[in-house]
Amino acid sequence: MLEVSGLRKVYEGRRVEALREVTFQVDAGELVCVIGPSGCGKTTLLRCVAGLLPPTAGSVKVAGAAVTGPPPRMAVVFQEYGRSLFPWMTVRQNVELPLKEKRMPAGRRGELVAGSLAAVGLADVADAHPWQLSGGMQQRVAIARAVAYEPQVLLMDEPFAAVDAQTRADLEDLVLALWRDTGVTTLFVTHDIDEAVYLGQRVIVLSGSPTVVMEDLKIDLPPERDQLTTRSLPRFADLRGHLYAQIQRARGDR
Amino acid sequence: MNGTGRAVTRVLTVAGVPALLVIVWQLYSAASQNFYVPAPGRVAQAFAETWFSERILDDVLPSLARLLAGYALAVAAGVGAGVAIGLSPRLRAAAEPVLEFFRAIPPPVLVPLIMLLAGIGDGMKVLVIASGCVWPILLNTVEGVRALDEVLSDTCRMYGVRGLSRLRHLVLRGASPQIMAGLRQALSIGIILMVISEMFASSSGLGFTIVLFQRGFQIAEMWSGILLLGLLGYVLALLFRRLERRVLSWHSGRGVGRA
Ligand SMILES: Nc1ncnc2c1ncn2[C@@H]1O[C@H](COP(=O)(O)OP(=O)(O)O)[C@@H](O)[C@H]1O
Ligand SMILES: [Mg+2]
Repeated sequence: MLEVSGLRKVYEGRRVEALREVTFQVDAGELVCVIGPSGCGKTTLLRCVAGLLPPTAGSVKVAGAAVTGPPPRMAVVFQEYGRSLFPWMTVRQNVELPLKEKRMPAGRRGELVAGSLAAVGLADVADAHPWQLSGGMQQRVAIARAVAYEPQVLLMDEPFAAVDAQTRADLEDLVLALWRDTGVTTLFVTHDIDEAVYLGQRVIVLSGSPTVVMEDLKIDLPPERDQLTTRSLPRFADLRGHLYAQIQRARGDR
Repeated sequence: MNGTGRAVTRVLTVAGVPALLVIVWQLYSAASQNFYVPAPGRVAQAFAETWFSERILDDVLPSLARLLAGYALAVAAGVGAGVAIGLSPRLRAAAEPVLEFFRAIPPPVLVPLIMLLAGIGDGMKVLVIASGCVWPILLNTVEGVRALDEVLSDTCRMYGVRGLSRLRHLVLRGASPQIMAGLRQALSIGIILMVISEMFASSSGLGFTIVLFQRGFQIAEMWSGILLLGLLGYVLALLFRRLERRVLSWHSGRGVGRA
């Protein structure tokens, strides 16, 4: 579904090489996490995949088609939830706007908006403005907007980096539940090793700069995940320990 | 405190300072006997006699109409050009020096030029008003559009919000705090230019009438005209505040929410 091959990105101007050579793929319906040390180019990678940033070399393909701009059936949840929602719109209007742009009939639109807001547990604040909500709730709105858009591919860039631990656990379970219900191909970027192991079917480890794929690790945990039991499995600890060592190596390489 | 008590307090707060000013004025005019400072009662009488007459139709309304026409023209041109310049780095690089130049010219310097241009007719007066109002609107719109949030911009790209829809939902709304600031500055400039453009080589309008009274030594009438201008500015500012509160409700609410 998603093929990233030989991706390289050098920012002009300061000539920062954010990505050296990144290659991986994601099959349809998979949930894959990308981790790497801070500043290694995760956001850059995601923006290239989203078609928001032209790569210096290499290519990205979605469902076989080369990405030259944002693909029509791709949704993104940005890290900065406070800045990705329109403050002058209500929660409902925020979720609805992309559907209006798709010229979806009002009836179907209403169903999708109501359904996705209910799915993220925000049905009763649909008429509030984003700035009246907590950070975790705002990120739920962004997730509802992505889900209502009915994407083929969903990209998330450290979406829970700025919320407290309890909210974060809830949101992780929300993402898992939505992913199971919709089967949407998901690329989830995080710097949190535990989060990557808990959510992912696979974890792609990026090295520190010069950035390449250091490891593509299959997460062989039972498919049913639970905050308590999954995290206390011995295998969970193994995987986490392994990734931790990898990230340390990635840092050290720099 | 009960309801009436509160209402009385409010009236006192709002009316207190103006009442004080009128009293001072009364005392001064009684004490000084200055011919150019008539008593407030005399001015009030002149006000009623002068302005509750066909002058409303002949002088006040045409002045207001020219002001509104010039202002509307400036809004359309300023916001339109401001959005275009704000969105295009190349256009901005080309236009910036010119804009800085116009920004640097102090408006009173334009008076001699206005004297030459404004007399000819309504159209020229409207243009004078528009050409003065357009700069704060234009410059503020450029600033507002430039400062649009990149994440929000990326969000629009991802979700297919483009063209007119992007203009409406992202660009204009995002820049609206700065645009409103520009519109507010432009309003006071517009009132000043309305008066000045009528003071020279004109045959009707508020500014013209005030100068006429001054030349005819109808001092109380002249003062009543100044009073009317003050009131007009006050009412326009009040209306503007209401509009601003509506347009920017999300903005002020957000400010309160963060504090
Ligand atoms: N617009 C930009 N221009 C120049 N350099 C950038 C830009 N964005 C990011 N970088 C640089 O690219 C590198 C990778 O950044 P980023 O992709 O944000 O990393 P991460 O998301 O993994 O923290 C960093 O060194 C950063 O300073
Ligand atoms: Mg990042």
